[in-house]
Amino acid sequence: MDPAGVFATSFAKDQALIRTRKQALSLLLFVGLMFALPMLANARAVAVMTSMLITGVVVLGLQINTGLAGQVNLGQAAFMGVGAYSTALLATKLSLPFWVALPLGGVAAAIFGLVFGLAAVRIKGFYLALTTIAAQILFHFLVLNLPSNWLGGANGLTLEPARLFGYVLDSDRSIYYLCLVVACVMIAGAYGVARSRHGRAFFAVRDDDVASGMMGIDVVRTKAMAFLLGAFYAGIGGGLWAYYVRFVAIDQFTLIHSIWFIAMIIVGGMGSITGALIGVFLIRLSQETISSMGPKLIEHFSFLTGDVVFAAMNIFLGGVISGFLIFEPRGLMHRWTILKRSYRLWPYSY
Amino acid sequence: MLDSVIHKEISMKSSKKILSMFRSESFRTRHGVALGALVLVGAVQAQAQTTYNVAGIADFTGPYADVMKDIAGCRKGVLDWWNQEVGASLGVALKIKEYDSRYDVAQIASLWPGVKSELNPVAVLGLGGPDTAALQQRLPSDKIPLILATAGYGFGWKPDSWVINARPTYPHEVAAFYQWLQKKQGGKAPLKIGIISSEVSPAYVDIHKGTEKFAKENPSVVEVVETIYTEAQPTDLMQQVNRLVRKGATVIQVFNNTASVVATRRALQSLGKTNIPIVMSAHNGLLSSGKAIGDLNQMEGSYEVYGMAIPTEEKTSARAFFDKLRSTYKADVSYTTPCMMGMSMGLITVRAMEQVVKVKGPKGVTGEELRAAILSNPLKVEQTFGVLPAVQYTKDAPFPTVNISVNIGTVEKGVYKIVGQGIPAPAISKW
Repeated sequence: MDPAGVFATSFAKDQALIRTRKQALSLLLFVGLMFALPMLANARAVAVMTSMLITGVVVLGLQINTGLAGQVNLGQAAFMGVGAYSTALLATKLSLPFWVALPLGGVAAAIFGLVFGLAAVRIKGFYLALTTIAAQILFHFLVLNLPSNWLGGANGLTLEPARLFGYVLDSDRSIYYLCLVVACVMIAGAYGVARSRHGRAFFAVRDDDVASGMMGIDVVRTKAMAFLLGAFYAGIGGGLWAYYVRFVAIDQFTLIHSIWFIAMIIVGGMGSITGALIGVFLIRLSQETISSMGPKLIEHFSFLTGDVVFAAMNIFLGGVISGFLIFEPRGLMHRWTILKRSYRLWPYSY
Repeated sequence: MLDSVIHKEISMKSSKKILSMFRSESFRTRHGVALGALVLVGAVQAQAQTTYNVAGIADFTGPYADVMKDIAGCRKGVLDWWNQEVGASLGVALKIKEYDSRYDVAQIASLWPGVKSELNPVAVLGLGGPDTAALQQRLPSDKIPLILATAGYGFGWKPDSWVINARPTYPHEVAAFYQWLQKKQGGKAPLKIGIISSEVSPAYVDIHKGTEKFAKENPSVVEVVETIYTEAQPTDLMQQVNRLVRKGATVIQVFNNTASVVATRRALQSLGKTNIPIVMSAHNGLLSSGKAIGDLNQMEGSYEVYGMAIPTEEKTSARAFFDKLRSTYKADVSYTTPCMMGMSMGLITVRAMEQVVKVKGPKGVTGEELRAAILSNPLKVEQTFGVLPAVQYTKDAPFPTVNISVNIGTVEKGVYKIVGQGIPAPAISKW
């Protein structure tokens, strides 16, 4: 709902992401703040934000696939892994620069995702969830069992830091800026997808694939496209991860990571690009907080053994996810929308 | 210990001298002010003890939370002991701060820049795989060594690593056990072993590949009848274990985790084959597996093997050192394998610091110098009070590959005991 006095007078204005000057100014300030963060915050905060940006890109892909197109996906971490491995291989074996290896890593993940997207054409719901878990297991199996000089096997892959015009991106600050720029591009792309005809097709297929087929939408193509795009985002996130840690191994991309990604879109709000980013921010923040609290809790409450803290923290995190599923399955973005509408309507109730 | 005795003697002689000087009345009148100044200088010097930070990577909220208290408590205990009894005379103190990592690569990667800027540590005492994955590429430029008490891995067998393991690789450790068992049984035929492994972690895969390599190179010692992959936390391994038994396995190697040991033992019990021993490592050893299965007696006849002291109730130098940490330095810890791991990391760090201070003095010690000292100065058993066997690094690996020895523990008639000490490990080619 727009503020009072703002009317869309054309289709372009109706579809515009930024509708008022205040919104434009807020966005500008936010982006400026993000670029100034390394100057304002300590090293830990910058590192945490870098990890949020990488996770954000991966979760945006999941939001497109699951939130927008309604295709259940429990293999996003595997798609991320494919992107990370492909980027690492292209950078080490073919010595490609990062600005070539990174998008190609995304393409490799997209192709891998498309294979499973084709399965989605015939199945949905529970069966699709199982198929995407198969992607997770297949990825794991392939990496470990193919000859180790192909994908590194149990040894993993190491790669050199990214370089741009002779500048080595190996410091925390430089890698943060790399992730920020890529994340900005990917976020803009995600908004573009959501507002495009592909996005509208995603929404239609999500809400009723039979009806959307009867309306002329190519359901097969739309479902495959959702997986292709979702996996591409995961692949780009994986490539960033590879350049961030500079070591890639299969245990960095497990099913539990995929479940966390799902949790992020549940908390933020299914179907909302902003919601995905908010979910990433909140879940990563709670993980960081819990990790910071752990040693202090043990120190101050010596009767607490480590396993009690471990159990309590997992119960807390699991409880948050369950709570959202029960009380607000549409996530925080839905609450925010209700709140925004209320104050715009105030003092009237409708 | 020798160091502390010498330092105590020196301080006693000094105090006697000072007392006799005070007895002279003329001294008091003429040089009172000068002595006051001397005392002041001494006090300032004592305060000028250089403190270096050490970062501890901990896991209070992840899968190893249940053992973290002993790991963290014991490594801190060693540093407290050293600061008091050795570091004070060297003018150096080591201070550790623990950071929770949840045993997660992403968490450690995001944690590390903050650790570096907050502490500027000379060393990091870690836990295992995730620390290595997240930091191995960064540490050479950060010039900070990461010290681990886990055994090494084949994929870490590289020169110039900044990740240093206190123990040799798992295959080296278990190979020593197989040689020992073959001799003990008096047989000349190779031991037929079955391996329960898993593909959930590259580390597990590395362990069984190393063992298979040893078996291939030493067919007179070991024959691997089969390697079976299981899920991460198996609950029932009846079929798999039955297959190993039918193939003639006389020992089953389970280096994954406690859940795998429990499932294997339950299967052996159901098959009536409890005479087939399981061999485990430190992270899933007899105490933790016995606790998980409900009673240590159920682990009767099984073995654990690793390059650290076995934490039994027997009177050993490691036990005496642990008791000292508990009684004198108030370490609130239990005598367990995780504690051994904590003590190992601490002892390697402090002994390396001694070497560096001896050469360049207490000021300006760097992580790079500490790493060089670890890799170039072999550790004798006495220097670690028997917590570690002799440890010697070579240029080609960040873990001991020469003069390796291990200890072996078992449960015999319900008693957890040491059955092999200082058992030499054979050489294994890279796998």
